[in-house]
Amino acid sequence: MRIEYWLLLSAYPIGMAILFFIPKNKIRLAVVAFLFTQLITFLLGLVVVELGLLQYPVRFFASINRASFTYEYFFLPVICALFNARYPSNRSTLIQCGYYIGYTSILTISEILFEKYTDLIKYINWEWYITWVTVCLTFYLTRILSLWFFSKGKVL
Amino acid sequence: MLMERLILAAMWLFGFVGFFLFVPRKDRRKGLLAFMVFQSFIWLCDMPSFKYGLLSAPVREFPKATDLSITINYFFYPILFSIFYVRRRVKTALWSKFIYFAGWISGISLFDVVLERYTDLLEYGSLTGYGMWIYIAILFLVSQFCCNWFFKDKSLFQAERVEPHEN
Repeated sequence: MRIEYWLLLSAYPIGMAILFFIPKNKIRLAVVAFLFTQLITFLLGLVVVELGLLQYPVRFFASINRASFTYEYFFLPVICALFNARYPSNRSTLIQCGYYIGYTSILTISEILFEKYTDLIKYINWEWYITWVTVCLTFYLTRILSLWFFSKGKVL
Repeated sequence: MLMERLILAAMWLFGFVGFFLFVPRKDRRKGLLAFMVFQSFIWLCDMPSFKYGLLSAPVREFPKATDLSITINYFFYPILFSIFYVRRRVKTALWSKFIYFAGWISGISLFDVVLERYTDLLEYGSLTGYGMWIYIAILFLVSQFCCNWFFKDKSLFQAERVEPHEN
């Protein structure tokens, strides 16, 4: 089996393991963040593939889905759940910004490495900084939604 | 082709209108969560179903990116589930719960069968209308179970504490 499939398969146990880092009292927050990320990434993931900006040569459900099921349906939502569950809301703005930058940069750097050394993803009309911005924006949107979802204020 | 496009547009329109019309203001959070849960499950189940030819979607929104139907999976059925979940009566007799459930499932399956027969939006492979009923019923049951878990402990859910529900 090609190394790419092992990498894709390993995303599932790694993702499961990451779930254990979510504090018990934040499970519902994590669920909301997870589901909302799916909502964003699944649609946008399909849009960028449809527009021919990206390609995922090796993927699961290859015959029916040209986007990355593993990353968009599972792995990024898991990371986003962790991001929201462990968000340092009581810390200074600097630390909060660093938190965003840290998560986003780690994801972007690993994507660049995957792009360069594996067939998991291929940039066509895409740049690494677009990844950086869109991932950061995804984190921000899920954070806004989670805050609203668990706020005591008026509904909508 | 034009008719299919119009139907898809109508699904978006009626979906939005339906959500804001039938999901009361105080239940918006509940509705949104139900929407997202159902959406998540239907993707997961439709991936293998489409892969193994249970059904297919000849006319679809992103023909290059995916063989799945976006509007139906991503938007319309989740909206319907969301309305189903928010409007259901919790404290009622078992048979009335069952009629409510069966009514919704039958309505959606019927809609699905009509789409299959008269348009190119859906095409059943090895699936039958009867199978679709079971498929949707399972999706509804699993999603409902998860949503109930989510809202089980009211003390954990702040929005509930401020505005107690009467259903």
